[in-house]
Amino acid sequence: MAHITLQDLKHSYNERPEDDDDWALKHLSFECEDGGAYALLGPSGCGKTTLLNIISGLLIPTEGRVLFDGKDVTGLMPDQRNIAQVFQFPVVYDTMSVYDNLAFPLRNRGLAGEAVDQRVRQIAAMIDLTDTLHQRAAGLSADGKQKISLGRGLVRADVNVIMFDEPLTVIDPHLKWQLRSKLKELHQQVGTTMIYVTHDQTEALTFADKVVVMYDGAVVQIGTPVELFEKPQHTFVGHFIGSPGMNILSCELDNGKPVLAGEVISANPIKQTPPTGTNLEIGIRPEFIHFAKSGLAVKIVRTSDAGHFSIVETLHKDQSIKLLVPEGAEIPTENAFIEFDKAHTQIYADSQIIT
Amino acid sequence: MQRFKWLVPTLYIIFLMLPIYWLLNMSFKTTNEILGTFSLWPREFTLENYRTIFTDSTWYNGYFNSITYVVLNTVISVTVALPAAYAFSRYRFLGDKHLFFWLLTNRMAPPAVFALPFFQLYSAVGLFDTPLAVALAHALFNIPLAVWILEGFMSGIPRELDDTAYVDGYSFPRFFFKIFIPTIASGIGVTAFFTFMFSWVELLLAKTLTSVAAKPIAATMTKTASTSGYELGLLAAAGVLTIIPGAIVIYFVRNYIAKGFAMGRV
Repeated sequence: MAHITLQDLKHSYNERPEDDDDWALKHLSFECEDGGAYALLGPSGCGKTTLLNIISGLLIPTEGRVLFDGKDVTGLMPDQRNIAQVFQFPVVYDTMSVYDNLAFPLRNRGLAGEAVDQRVRQIAAMIDLTDTLHQRAAGLSADGKQKISLGRGLVRADVNVIMFDEPLTVIDPHLKWQLRSKLKELHQQVGTTMIYVTHDQTEALTFADKVVVMYDGAVVQIGTPVELFEKPQHTFVGHFIGSPGMNILSCELDNGKPVLAGEVISANPIKQTPPTGTNLEIGIRPEFIHFAKSGLAVKIVRTSDAGHFSIVETLHKDQSIKLLVPEGAEIPTENAFIEFDKAHTQIYADSQIIT
Repeated sequence: MQRFKWLVPTLYIIFLMLPIYWLLNMSFKTTNEILGTFSLWPREFTLENYRTIFTDSTWYNGYFNSITYVVLNTVISVTVALPAAYAFSRYRFLGDKHLFFWLLTNRMAPPAVFALPFFQLYSAVGLFDTPLAVALAHALFNIPLAVWILEGFMSGIPRELDDTAYVDGYSFPRFFFKIFIPTIASGIGVTAFFTFMFSWVELLLAKTLTSVAAKPIAATMTKTASTSGYELGLLAAAGVLTIIPGAIVIYFVRNYIAKGFAMGRV
């Protein structure tokens, strides 16, 4: 268990990085509190795995430092950092039995006998491997092997941090739920710092206390799931989180008020007026738009039913706006008007929030 | 049609086994019978040919020499190729792909090309007529092949295995010997088989680089025909005994070879 500090990290896989594109991580600093459950969320190729490998010591960052409890570990090898890591694809030691696989990290730290046995059985029971404990690991199915990987990550109680790199990719959907809630449960029991990398927002939002959203080698927002939902700091976050994502509508400013194609919109007040020439956008989640008697005139393009609500796609001038309508509510066909919920209407300048 | 399903495989096996049977057949006959009559099985069954081989030191030393340099060669090739193949499969460095390809250049020429340089070099450094000379000469051909085969097997093992072992508390040497090598054991088996086979059947270099002390069995076999008339029975017996080591080795790796072929590297 440790407090993890990442200071001014930069990493490039090129030996002599020249332009911006050579950097897999572009200047990144953040802290993980002791005992927190963190999720690194972002699209494929945004640098999540690179960051994880830097924390575990498999990669040495080009610049910057990694601190565990204030102690600089940047130069330490993975085996000296006292961590556990679970990878996306199952990794098992084929030549050992399931039991020996699970016991391996414990034995490497000098544990023996009863202590190992007890812990291995406890973990095996948790991930449903008790029946296969004495089989050879090589003979198991892909999700069986991944369970071993998970188990091996969880088996040591004294690690600084456990890292998961998209660990549930190869697991069956029904088992995913089960394993995720088990992980969550275990986190509450032992309170180890956990970092969970994923590109699946449901996984990130259900697992983590705090979600770190990454985009193109940089952190765009760190926050609780609610913060990410209600106040995205970056249009990418708004777009990436939520289904459907945030409506991003290009607009202009007039006396500090956003103007959307000639109509003034009421939004959160702007904290700082951006310089002229920046690209201005309104961000509003479909959840916070509703039909009204007056407001923005829109044309309804399509309605799709999504269970408890319908997603209505509308067109205002040439900008598409999506909104969510609860089940049973009436959807106007002609002369439709929509209204934005003022408290949840944000303004972005060059993709960064300014409200 | 169904009733004759057995026909093709049977014919195939007969054609396959016929030369081996004939060799076996000859090895139990006397030279007179071989030359004088046509017989499908030995009329005068004799073990005399085998007795000669096991008692005459020029014969059994041949086997001993051959096995010595073949084993030596296999050990050298695999030991050297393991770290090389690991480097090619795990690291990226300047020119790695070119180097990997050009490793095979030595195999692009017939071994005869290298016979003279090796002979000259070994005579100069005093290695001539030793099993080590032949083993080293064969290593020139076998190491590139071994690197290729092993690289294929190693690349089939995900990098994450390495990473997990480090995270779980192993240093690189411990990981390499305790986890990695057992994991690619089948690949090592296949590699050992191919290096063994090349070295076991190669005649030209083995013959050129030895004279008396380290003379291989194949060289012994080529000479006997001219010393005291024809000794065909003896030669046949020597042939049978030469097949056996190869057969034993192939038996042990038979399951892994299919895997090696499937990876397209063998």
